[in-house]
Amino acid sequence: MPRPDGLLDAAARALSTRLASGMTRKSFLGRMGGAVLAATGGAAVAAAVRPAKSEAFHFCGHIWTTGSCPNPLGLPRIDKNGFPLRPSDGHRIDNLGRPVNSEGWAVDGSGNRLRSPDGEFLPRAPRTRLCEDWTNEHYKIGGVMQGAWYRCCNGQVRKLVDCCSHSRKRINGDASLTGYCFDGRRVFCVLYYDSGLKC
Amino acid sequence: MVETFTPAVCGSRSRQRLAIALFALAALVASAVLGATLGFVGSLVGTRPALIAAAALAFLAALREAGILRLPLPQSRRQVPERWQYERPLALWSAGYGAGLGLGFLTFQPVATFWVACAAALALGKPVAAAGCFALYGAGRAFMAVWPRHREPSGPAAVERLVGRASVVPRANAVVLGLAVVLLAVAPAAGAAVTSLGRGFDPAADGNTLARARMAAGTIKVLVVPPAPDPMDTVSPANSPTLSGNYLAYADDEGIKVIDWRNDTPVRELDGPYSHPALDYPRLAYIRDDGTYERLVLADDISKPNPDERIIASVRSAADLGRPTLRGGRLAWHRIDDGGSAIYLLNLATNDRRVIKRTNVWMEANPSVTSSRIVWVEQRPQGSYLRMQWFRSKHTKTLMQVRGRKTLFWTTALAGRTAYVTRWTPSTRKAVVLRVNF
Repeated sequence: MPRPDGLLDAAARALSTRLASGMTRKSFLGRMGGAVLAATGGAAVAAAVRPAKSEAFHFCGHIWTTGSCPNPLGLPRIDKNGFPLRPSDGHRIDNLGRPVNSEGWAVDGSGNRLRSPDGEFLPRAPRTRLCEDWTNEHYKIGGVMQGAWYRCCNGQVRKLVDCCSHSRKRINGDASLTGYCFDGRRVFCVLYYDSGLKC
Repeated sequence: MVETFTPAVCGSRSRQRLAIALFALAALVASAVLGATLGFVGSLVGTRPALIAAAALAFLAALREAGILRLPLPQSRRQVPERWQYERPLALWSAGYGAGLGLGFLTFQPVATFWVACAAALALGKPVAAAGCFALYGAGRAFMAVWPRHREPSGPAAVERLVGRASVVPRANAVVLGLAVVLLAVAPAAGAAVTSLGRGFDPAADGNTLARARMAAGTIKVLVVPPAPDPMDTVSPANSPTLSGNYLAYADDEGIKVIDWRNDTPVRELDGPYSHPALDYPRLAYIRDDGTYERLVLADDISKPNPDERIIASVRSAADLGRPTLRGGRLAWHRIDDGGSAIYLLNLATNDRRVIKRTNVWMEANPSVTSSRIVWVEQRPQGSYLRMQWFRSKHTKTLMQVRGRKTLFWTTALAGRTAYVTRWTPSTRKAVVLRVNF
């Protein structure tokens, strides 16, 4: 008959295995760290080290570790030309994350143009491409959209796009991978485009 | 105090507890009031000098506590008046002792830390936050009246035990003050004290006079508020004010008007599709919108019947040149289009044009200049930032920020070391003018 401490160890091992198999190493270690702090009574501190969104599973269809390209609202959803879209519904947004109409003017939920405090229409904010403009301004790496692959996500075909550069480092800070890039480029960060085609 | 709050002095154990409670409450309130007063004064006078003074004081105090430097302390070398406990009711003397010690400067100061805290409260420039921090000082005073008796029923013995450990205090204090020097030195934007000036937008400043626009019953009017005791002036309908001494320029439905705001005398009128004036009398810059293009125009001398005009910048109407600013021989403006934004500065004496900030991503907008500095607003998805740069430096400093997209900064004004910025909430259309002393 197993000893009680052996039973406890086995239970802990099983729990750890279950936790680890359901998440990435980063999120697993993050949660374990949070649990240890919580167990020592540091609930407030534990909240501060809650694991960040997993970079490996940060959006459907992308199971590798390269991080998202910089974007206004947290996920790098783009239109077919690489301009930002609202991740939740695909509405076009400007670089400040505001919904905009087809001409680029900021609009409210009813589609009316937003006004400044004096009642004049607000000027258009910049709306630029996440790979060629955002990534290059932040990291100066000469990124271009190149490789792509496809997955079925939420019942439609999703195109996953690599933002490629000659940089040997990727956005995560470690060594970059070739992925679907060509001409000697490597994956710096990733984007996605929802095609609307059923799958 | 340990020796004072005994059953023998107070009369009974219940009266002892009452005296300690009153002492603690009075100490907390007095120190909080002191903190609030210092924070309020800091918000009025500007906090950059106070921040530097606090860091310097903390450094000197750390040297003093470490025994490296001998410095006298500004203090009242007195203890609380002992006769009170014999002459006055218990409630009065216990609360009086608490208030006296909570205020700090009325009694003997064994360490220099109190004065560092005073300078830091000034530098904070926020009455409520300073009151909260200073209340801890009162709490410490109350704590020290109770804690030494925790394991020692005799008051004098508790004091003797405390005195025996007194040598540790200066060393620990020196370490804490050293940390305070570091924290005060690296405090980001700690020099910026922010005060809300109430409803309004599009601020314009010259010296201590501030103009702003305000929406009232669907009409926009301009308020000019000079320093007291001069009376406030109101112009309606009027929008987008700009000040230069006694001259006020504003936009209305007919174009741009320039008046002497002290006696409401018209000085100049420009009728046409003109807006967003920037006045540094006799120079006037403004935006001319001819339908296809938006142009930034500079009139060299509006005191002449036919001033020379030149076009400084042009964009297609879908882009934006915003609200230019003109002061000290420099003209600044923004340019925003769907491919990016930039802040430009033109030296009118040398015709030297400079890009202060250019980006393909964020929205840089609404600059204001003096002869030595420029401020502007940077909008990002994460929030709005009030940026400032010296003309002699490429370093950009953030004076303040608001997080999120619900509330953001808009137009600015600048006079000396005081910046003004419109903070507004698009969903409610509520706009207020903030004053930022840096």
